[in-house]
Amino acid sequence: MSSAGGALIVTLLTLTLIKSTPIIYAALGGVISERSGVVNIGLEGMMIGGAFTAVLFSGMTGSPVIGIIAGIAAGALLGFILGFAATVFKVDQIVAGTGINLVAAGGAAYALTLIYNQPGASPQVSALGNNFWILVAIAFACAALLHGVLYFTPWGLRVRACGENPRAVHDAGLHPLRLRLYAVILSGALAGLGGAFLSIGEVNIYSDGMTAGRGFIALAAVIFGRWTPWGATGAAIFFGFFEALQYVLQGHISWLPADAMQALPYVAALFAIAGLVGKVRAPAADGIPY
Amino acid sequence: MGPMNRRAILSSIAAAAFALSLGGCVGRHVHPRPGQLTLGMVTDVGGLGDKSFNDSAYNGLLRSRADLDAYIKVLQSKSAADYQPNLTVLSEARFNMIYAIGFLMGDDLQQVAHQFPQQNYAIIDDVVPAPNIISVTFKEEDGSFLAGALAAMVSKTKHVAFIGGMDIPLIRKFEAGYEAGVRQIDPSVKVDVKYAGSFDDVATGKELANLLFNGGADIIYTAAGKVGLGAIDAARTRPQGYYIIGVDNDQDAVAPGKVLTSMVKHVDIAVFDIAKGIQTGHPPHGHVVLGLKDRGISLTDFKYTRSAISSAQLQTLDTLRKAIIAGKITVPYTREALATWKPANL
Repeated sequence: MSSAGGALIVTLLTLTLIKSTPIIYAALGGVISERSGVVNIGLEGMMIGGAFTAVLFSGMTGSPVIGIIAGIAAGALLGFILGFAATVFKVDQIVAGTGINLVAAGGAAYALTLIYNQPGASPQVSALGNNFWILVAIAFACAALLHGVLYFTPWGLRVRACGENPRAVHDAGLHPLRLRLYAVILSGALAGLGGAFLSIGEVNIYSDGMTAGRGFIALAAVIFGRWTPWGATGAAIFFGFFEALQYVLQGHISWLPADAMQALPYVAALFAIAGLVGKVRAPAADGIPY
Repeated sequence: MGPMNRRAILSSIAAAAFALSLGGCVGRHVHPRPGQLTLGMVTDVGGLGDKSFNDSAYNGLLRSRADLDAYIKVLQSKSAADYQPNLTVLSEARFNMIYAIGFLMGDDLQQVAHQFPQQNYAIIDDVVPAPNIISVTFKEEDGSFLAGALAAMVSKTKHVAFIGGMDIPLIRKFEAGYEAGVRQIDPSVKVDVKYAGSFDDVATGKELANLLFNGGADIIYTAAGKVGLGAIDAARTRPQGYYIIGVDNDQDAVAPGKVLTSMVKHVDIAVFDIAKGIQTGHPPHGHVVLGLKDRGISLTDFKYTRSAISSAQLQTLDTLRKAIIAGKITVPYTREALATWKPANL
């Protein structure tokens, strides 16, 4: 293979990793939430919350590490709100999740004007710089950890049972609502970390709309990955790869317009889901309030 | 904290929220004197403080107030649903001129202008054919041509690039002008073109810029809104010699020394010129196109990057600018026109 071809592959793989990471975090969040029986359509909003709060705290303290932690906390807080609504109030989970998305997007936009007096984008704050690769690695560690917790710990078994038959969990003397609440908080924390990766991992600002639908892609990755941590991670990498591929290919295939190129990840996903994945089965009690 | 105290705080929060909900009115709350020039303006959703389009238009109003003693009133739009109500409110109050800022307002303005045939309007960045609307557009391709020429001259790798937001005709004007400018200086300079598919996705802007820099380009022109901020961040974290060319407003200070120049659209000048035209009794009408000649379009003056540009290169840039103004160079604004475009002999 020529060195140019080798360089191209390195470029493609690097970009794939960077593109996948925020989706992996959010998708892992989606997995834990849905395995407990709560559909988390608010992943996008939790990413926004994480992205904005990370910038806010990094700007205030000058420490991007504190920013990241704050981003995780913000995501967890939004997770708590969704979890509380889904368990205690038994609100329709799709409605509550949509509410989270709207509140996070609107709240961040409003806070930009209120705090920085400049709508649209925040000022530049200190960011991770090249250390953002650590967060890329941590994403895979999180996938391994979540796999271990879900399949090899009693708590993981209980969470999965909640998603299949919360009644049975209750009859076993456990608290399905509490388990779900914890799972959704964890879900929010992961999505918040994904958002923080975008704002102070990759760049150094928060800007309205910067999550650009990644939370919804993550939701698709959860289904595509059959509600398992490694499956969702693989699906996120799949999306990341095709997104990276279309950016690399743009300009090299002149007859194909950029718009068509940008549809590549989604077309690929359609084909994959239709052809490769086969029948998917959601957790039996997913989305049903208990 | 006592209960009274808490109640006081709560009620002040409520009052603040109420005041904010009333918001949208900027400017002095006085009435115009008889005979005073009255100017109204409706911002698009970007709103005041966007350091771009709307702020630039507002600066034009402020200048009209200072230089022409105009009475000004601005209504901000929080969403697209506010355009028609805001335009109607101003129309009922009767102003000498009402500015609609941004092509997003085109359809709404057309409807409102039809209901108020006696009222005069101006819209920026869109062409709305109506007897009482002045349409102002900019020759972005001309400024982009100069950006391309500069990039071709400054590039050490003889390889430059362009990042667009969405692949739409408005952005292709920037792309075509830029490529033509490069070709004018040196047809052998390679131009990579990528579209982010978004105007907001900052992270993608950085990824694309790194992709292009790693691919050999050393100067990238962005016409992609906030995506460009990510590209600037990519240049900021690289050694000297990698540059971004900013767009719309002066972005040179976002990363001093890393933004070679910015291709600025002077909405403020457009707004002021119309106001001045009304006062002197010769308002423009129909479709006004602003370019290099009237300084509606210009490059910023290399405050932080002057050392990267030789005097001879500045000279060439000036020659090209004058040639465009004199009509010796016709800059293409579509890909089709670019395909057959030949560098001009000067």
